[in-house]
Amino acid sequence: MRIDVVMPKMGESVNEGTIIKWHKKKGDRVKKDEIIFEISTDKVDTEIPSPSDGILSEVKVFEQETVPVDTVVAVIETAENSEMPQEKTPVSPSFEKKQAETPSTTQIGGNLIEIPMPKMGESVMEGTIIKWHKKPGDPVKKDEVLFEISTDKVDTEVPSPEDGTLAEILVGEQQTVEVGTIVARITSKGGVYKEPAATVVKTPIVESENIIEKRVPQMDSLYAEIKSNEAFQEVRPSAKRFYSPLVLNIAQKENVAFEELENIPGSGVEGRVTKKDILDYISNKGIVKTKEETPSYSYPKKAPEKSFSPQEEQKQVLQERTQQEKLHQPSFSDGNNELIPMDNIRQKIMMHMVKSRDTSVHVSAMIEVDMMKIHNFIKINKDDFLKRENIKLTYMPFIANACIKALKEYPYLNSSIDGTNIVLKRYINLGIAVSVEPNGLIVPNIKNADEKNIIGLAKAIAELSNKARTKKLLPDDISNGTFTITNYGVFGTLFGTPIINQPEVAILGVGTVIKKPVVVELDGADTIAIRPMMYLSLSHDHRLIDGMLGGKFLKFMKDTIENFDLNDI
Amino acid sequence: MNITDSGAIMSGKYDIAILGGGPGGYVAAIRSAQLGFKTVIIDKDNLGGICLNWGCIPTKALLKNADLYEKIKNAGQFGINVENCSFDFPKIIKRSRDVADRLARNVEYLMKKNKIDRIRGFGKFANEKVLEVFDQNGNITESIEASKIIIATGARARTIKQIPVDGEKIITSTEAMVLKDMPAEMIIIGAGAIGIEFAYFYSVFGTKVTVVEALNSILPIEDKEISEALTKELKKKGITIHTRSIVEKAEIKGNRVEVTLNSEGKTSVISADIALNAIGVTGNVEGFGLENLGIELFKNHIKVDKRTYQTNINDIFAIGDVIGPPWLAHVASAEGIHCVETIKGLNPPAIDYDMIPGCTYCQPQVASVGLTEEKALAEGYDLKIGRFPYSASGKAFAVGEREGMVKVIFDSKYGELLGAHIIGSEATELIAEFTLAKSMEATFETIIKTVHAHPTLSESNMEAVANAYGEAIHI
Repeated sequence: MRIDVVMPKMGESVNEGTIIKWHKKKGDRVKKDEIIFEISTDKVDTEIPSPSDGILSEVKVFEQETVPVDTVVAVIETAENSEMPQEKTPVSPSFEKKQAETPSTTQIGGNLIEIPMPKMGESVMEGTIIKWHKKPGDPVKKDEVLFEISTDKVDTEVPSPEDGTLAEILVGEQQTVEVGTIVARITSKGGVYKEPAATVVKTPIVESENIIEKRVPQMDSLYAEIKSNEAFQEVRPSAKRFYSPLVLNIAQKENVAFEELENIPGSGVEGRVTKKDILDYISNKGIVKTKEETPSYSYPKKAPEKSFSPQEEQKQVLQERTQQEKLHQPSFSDGNNELIPMDNIRQKIMMHMVKSRDTSVHVSAMIEVDMMKIHNFIKINKDDFLKRENIKLTYMPFIANACIKALKEYPYLNSSIDGTNIVLKRYINLGIAVSVEPNGLIVPNIKNADEKNIIGLAKAIAELSNKARTKKLLPDDISNGTFTITNYGVFGTLFGTPIINQPEVAILGVGTVIKKPVVVELDGADTIAIRPMMYLSLSHDHRLIDGMLGGKFLKFMKDTIENFDLNDI
Repeated sequence: MNITDSGAIMSGKYDIAILGGGPGGYVAAIRSAQLGFKTVIIDKDNLGGICLNWGCIPTKALLKNADLYEKIKNAGQFGINVENCSFDFPKIIKRSRDVADRLARNVEYLMKKNKIDRIRGFGKFANEKVLEVFDQNGNITESIEASKIIIATGARARTIKQIPVDGEKIITSTEAMVLKDMPAEMIIIGAGAIGIEFAYFYSVFGTKVTVVEALNSILPIEDKEISEALTKELKKKGITIHTRSIVEKAEIKGNRVEVTLNSEGKTSVISADIALNAIGVTGNVEGFGLENLGIELFKNHIKVDKRTYQTNINDIFAIGDVIGPPWLAHVASAEGIHCVETIKGLNPPAIDYDMIPGCTYCQPQVASVGLTEEKALAEGYDLKIGRFPYSASGKAFAVGEREGMVKVIFDSKYGELLGAHIIGSEATELIAEFTLAKSMEATFETIIKTVHAHPTLSESNMEAVANAYGEAIHI
């Protein structure tokens, strides 16, 4: 015989109760008056005893779930009919009505773990799920990859925090959600997973979210709290100066973004923004806006140097661009055109490139370098290195090493521009541009590259490239770079004019090494020789680096490479 | 040491010379010395200027006597019996003078401490870089050259021909501070802070005071609601007040003064033993050679650029009352500091003249900062106004100061504190919170969420703000 256990009414005006804890799990034998669960209501917390001897055959309400009084929370099979419960216990018709309020998965015992979109860096506020490696119902192991995400900064794989079963997927592939949004739920080991009535993945995200809200209001409010705290923390550490409550109020009312606020010049004490400053800013902004509304294409406003990579701004730039470009391009695939939506990474690259070109005044200079010495060294030592150090020796570590020496000699190239200040970096985090198949580009950097020798650099370059191609880069790997090398030579390119990786002020392009007849001086006589030659090109930001400094830097590199101290290795 | 053509001693070159030793000049001098400038200050009188010698400080001393006397007279309501309570008027005046003299000596000491050269005498521009100092007899005693000169010569009571000041029957505030005897009846012309303070002072000691004001209300620059409340309180103390009344003439008839009033067309004559001219002040711009340099003036004040306080002549600056309203000592000091810091190149933020507090020290006191309700409305703000009466404050009740009110005016759009107005006991101290709040651009939340000590009068500030947003607790 089945006995329904209901949420008891604990007082006059108490209409609902929350289950705090299950003392028994599905399948457990229970005695009459033995505590089976604990509840909490507005008025009291109490323990609920079993009404009868029997077996707990169904648990219908999760811990922390709040349900109205009289809701059936469990079913006990009494002794007369005491075989173990079937997986497919028929659901009573009266219960079906409440289906919407009950979980879409049935989980008994164990805990339900919510998997949020992880935060992948300081200013990363959202992420896109690229791929689910598991589907609902799949067992997952701790640290096994659950899904892959792509964010502003980096693509990465997200592992499972626990052993268990993937119960629900709440955010589908190619969906972008805010950091902290619950994307899946897994039941931890010990829990029994039952096939959900409806295929959850197909239900629209919004709906699933609504269900979550209904089901676990406490969790929801807790989450809201965490979220608002995060928002608060986002603002605080990045604030470079004090903002008065009034200025913040005005900013809020007039929709002045925080990044924007950071760029308003302050006339107050210690450069504070005063009421007048922000009101002036707002009224001027109005004027600029109307100007921009003129039909002719107006070049996007130059981004203030200080605000590197504020997402809003990038989005704006992107929108302005794409809006303009849309006018001339088809918005659908037809016989002649195929429309391919850009993936997240492509969009980010686009924004970074546009932003860089709008920020820096790019100038490029080239120098030709005789690689004979390095070429010969590699030729002789290649196999030895592979055996000894397990690395494939290439030109890159030598070029990187020469570059680091040049950066030390000319530290302005290892700097960035902050407003009207030059920020000289005392550390060298050397960025290496890595192309990622099929269609991407990322610049991880070698931290404190100046502390590494040739072998160390070779290993670091190999490791970063490998991490980039296997999407294992961490946000730390791509932040705080100070100078970048891009090696387009691998494609046979002779020389190029690379775009600076903001907020750096220069980027070194490495061309292919190719054997050429060159005029060399041998014993005081000019003669033609065959030499492995390479072009280095340096794109530098003319706002800070003039031709002289760029030229000196390249000359220093050339001299260093051509006269490389091979004892140094 | 050189001797100049005129025979004066050339006391040497200075970085900054300051003409006038009032709260503008002496403060500028100290800041100047702190910033490493070789500094000289010239004043014919004691340092401290009108403020310290003939204004703020000695009047506050007098007003304390009045406050104390009034309290003792009313001690009965506290259960304290004081019989034969009387006063010694010359002693009251002497105490006020002693306070002023003592403070003036303090300022002289501050000059020494900061190694500022102090020259007593009348300074006059010989040219744009040189000041000649004259003694009482009109002889040049010294000649000073300075790269920058700051004029801080202040202001004096403004006189008009209808009110011929003779210094005995028709007087200015200076004489009012040192009267030998208590006048039986006094007419005070002008109901600004100076007029009202003397009206209060003399009325407490038994003088029958009549106040005449040309504008619509007493303390005409204050919020109308506050000035109406004050009118009520002063009338309770027996002061007669004529507003919208213009003085057509004041005449000395024997040992009486007759004042002819035109009150909205109606002419009347009132008389008293003494008439005090308190219609306002005017800049001291005469007699020290400004005209020879061609320094630009406006309405008897020196015109300056209020970012740098430089006059139309390079390297000649002016600060304080001599550059015009609001004629307040604390403004002069702030301008002095700002001026010197600008010379030093520190680029201080400009003084915000909307954030200058104003105080009147009668009882109940009146203090305010920012816009009045009328002004705020005229400027087109949508307002949220909060009020909290002292009668709802536990502390005010306990100390027997139940007359008073805090009124705050907020812009409903951004929550900015536009103005704060306080009437009542300690109003002049309480206003500091709102001055800070305004200068920090605090909003109403900031003030409401600041825990105020209980029981204090300052709780009324918080409550008034809360009231503006419907959150006051004790009302």
